[in-house]
Amino acid sequence: MAAQAGVSVGVRGVLRTFPDGTQAIASLDLDIAAGAFVALVGPSGCGKSTLLRLIAGLDTPQAGSVSVQARDRLSDRSPVAYVFQDAHLLPWHDVLDNVALPLRLGGLDAGARRARAREALSRVGLSDVAGKRPAALSGGMRMRVSLARALVTRPRLLLLDEPFGALDELTRLRLDDELRALWRAFGMTVLFVTHAISEAAYLAERVIVFSPRPARVVLDATVDLPAERGPAIRTEPGFARTVQRLHAALELGGA
Amino acid sequence: MRAAWALPPLGALCVILAIWEALVRMLAVPLYLLPPPSAIALAGFHDARTLAVSAGITAMSALIGFFLSALFGVVLGITLSASLVLERAFYPYTVFLQTVPIVAIAPLLVVWFGPGLKAVCVSAFIVSVFPVIAGTLAGMKSVDPALVDLFRLYGATRRHKLLLLQIPSALPSLFTGLRVASGLAVIGTLVGEFVAGFAEGSPGLGITILVAYKQLRTDLLFAAVLGSAVLGLSLFGAVNAAGHFLLRNWHPSEQNA
Amino acid sequence: MKTRSSHAALFACLLVACLLPACKKRESPGAGDTVGLRPVKLALNWVPENEFGGYYEAREKGYFRAEGLDTTIQAGGAGVPVVQMVASGQADFGIAGADEVILARLRGADVVPIWATFQTAPTAIMTPAARGANTLADVFSGGTLAVEPGLVYVAFLKKKYGFDKVKVVPYDGGVARFVVEKDYAQQCYVTTEPIVARRRGVEPKIFPIAAEGFDPYSGLVIVQRATWQKDPALVRSFLRAVRRGWRSYLDNPTAADAVMGKLNPAMDAQTFAEAGVIQRPLIETDATKAGGLGVMDKARWETLAAQLVELGTIEKAPPIDDYWIPPASLAGP
Repeated sequence: MAAQAGVSVGVRGVLRTFPDGTQAIASLDLDIAAGAFVALVGPSGCGKSTLLRLIAGLDTPQAGSVSVQARDRLSDRSPVAYVFQDAHLLPWHDVLDNVALPLRLGGLDAGARRARAREALSRVGLSDVAGKRPAALSGGMRMRVSLARALVTRPRLLLLDEPFGALDELTRLRLDDELRALWRAFGMTVLFVTHAISEAAYLAERVIVFSPRPARVVLDATVDLPAERGPAIRTEPGFARTVQRLHAALELGGA
Repeated sequence: MRAAWALPPLGALCVILAIWEALVRMLAVPLYLLPPPSAIALAGFHDARTLAVSAGITAMSALIGFFLSALFGVVLGITLSASLVLERAFYPYTVFLQTVPIVAIAPLLVVWFGPGLKAVCVSAFIVSVFPVIAGTLAGMKSVDPALVDLFRLYGATRRHKLLLLQIPSALPSLFTGLRVASGLAVIGTLVGEFVAGFAEGSPGLGITILVAYKQLRTDLLFAAVLGSAVLGLSLFGAVNAAGHFLLRNWHPSEQNA
Repeated sequence: MKTRSSHAALFACLLVACLLPACKKRESPGAGDTVGLRPVKLALNWVPENEFGGYYEAREKGYFRAEGLDTTIQAGGAGVPVVQMVASGQADFGIAGADEVILARLRGADVVPIWATFQTAPTAIMTPAARGANTLADVFSGGTLAVEPGLVYVAFLKKKYGFDKVKVVPYDGGVARFVVEKDYAQQCYVTTEPIVARRRGVEPKIFPIAAEGFDPYSGLVIVQRATWQKDPALVRSFLRAVRRGWRSYLDNPTAADAVMGKLNPAMDAQTFAEAGVIQRPLIETDATKAGGLGVMDKARWETLAAQLVELGTIEKAPPIDDYWIPPASLAGP
């Protein structure tokens, strides 16, 4: 699979209120470079998921703008992919058809999309469950299928909203590594929302800490850790320092 | 294992029948008040042919009424789910269908739709359509919102959304509605027959029940009632089987069977 | 999973089995081809019983066919709205009671009566003979009375006797309570409930309503007035066949009773026979011996209308000449 360049994301003066009047985001500005892996951290309900949805185009802001460079609709490429906290697979389809779903919605024929789906499944190491139903899989496997589904369109922007939060620690750590590996292989821009600070520090090159609602940027920090990271890095002092810094910012923000 | 599963209810049935038979004989209850199971069985065998033909007539009307309910109910449920305005405008009137006393309006059905089969089928339809509408509508509205977002994100057309997401999501609730409707269709048919009379040239179970009651032939009455129960069960079983077939691979309710 | 699907399949088979008997070819009533005959529909207001014997006889013996008519007899049930059906064209002819006809005319249904099967109303009040009541006044002096609320003759009886000393309860549609309760009286049709009660061992004493002074024609054949005006030949030919059928039925009811018995198998042959005997004197009276079966008298209609006004059932009587057809006119041009 050829590496894809990511897209850059620009957020300008965005204001987002919910129908009941609560202000989720008040005038936010943000720039994300193409191909970056950025973690968004903040207390529950601060608006980070809302921001993600705005960037995805699922919601529109009341004021301001969101721009994603090259939002072109090519026949087999949607530049944006989204992974939810739960896998949200279609229970009446098997794993292969689930992964192929975005391609089906994009109009690709059955043969081509199944081949692409198989490719994506092998990327997350799940080729042998292609014919199974989601109900037969464990939570971790379902999340990986969801990842495969997100990757099948070769996205240039990958948005993940606390995807591993519901999984056990071992699976979470494993998936963290898989995600980083996929990012390094394909080079898409990744926005990763989490409230686990250590996960943010492990995964990202840049961590943005938000205050409670309405979300303001409390800290926009670069993670000073090598690009090649293994699990061992969690034991290094540099890692602990980064985590501590993020913690402090979170508390300062009023979490 | 199958035998072990069936044993408790069958055993209970035998015990109940035995007690019933014994009590009726011991207390010398007149035949026309409460017949013993043996008399009902006798009436059933004696009139087996006519009961079978009547059951067939009723079955035909009930099936037609049920299919009308299924078709109309599903289509209406899907349509109402498409727009909140439409739903608010028309849903209250579908509730009216549930509450209308069929015994009172059955004569009107005869005038509007014609006597015999037509009125009886419409009666079955009116009584059984609401659960299908309600079940379909509830199912269509209970689609996973995250999946709706996902479909939107990938540029799904309305047709994609309807066929690939909403309808499959709605199937379990839809089938619950169909299961309820199956029993109601038989009831609606019987009420229609009481009032409107003969569906085809021969009498249905409703007429048999009506006349058996008037003639105080309580054993035949019970046999006919039993026949209609079997009919209702069969229709329910058929719907259940269909639901099982469609949902067997993925819905928790069918997988624990 | 295997258990579930296999017994669901069993039920599905049961359902198919229920349908099979209905698929057998139904005998077409009255052999002979119907090409060139005019199709007419006669709607009955109850299931096939002796009160309709003449019509089935006419069909079986080919009297309708002889008049060029292919008559379908649409049997009914407990609540068939025959008057509305005839008025709206769902049926060409129908069976109704005289008070129904007057009420319907006032509500805008333009139907006219052309034949009265029962010269004497077959409705009655019955009570167990063991009770020892000699008159209706006795019957209403205590105990329970089961009647349908809203029936005109019930209103008549209430006006005549008063119901203050008797407990009025809804009529249960049969004789289920009659055969077990004491001091019980109920409405009945002389050809139905008394026979059933007698068979269950409770001899009934019958008080016909006609004897009390309320005697509307019953078992009327009605037709749209428009049909009579536009096509009197059709009505006359129908009537001719009906008259022959009733004559033939009264002379020998066995054939028609057998046909009706097949359509109404819950009623046995003996009941048919007994009911036939009871209904004869109500159908064939001095009036019919003079004027022919089914004949009607204008004065009786006027009396009925006046009675209905007196009871408060109607505000005023409909103009009788709007619906009265002289027997001579019905018989022929």
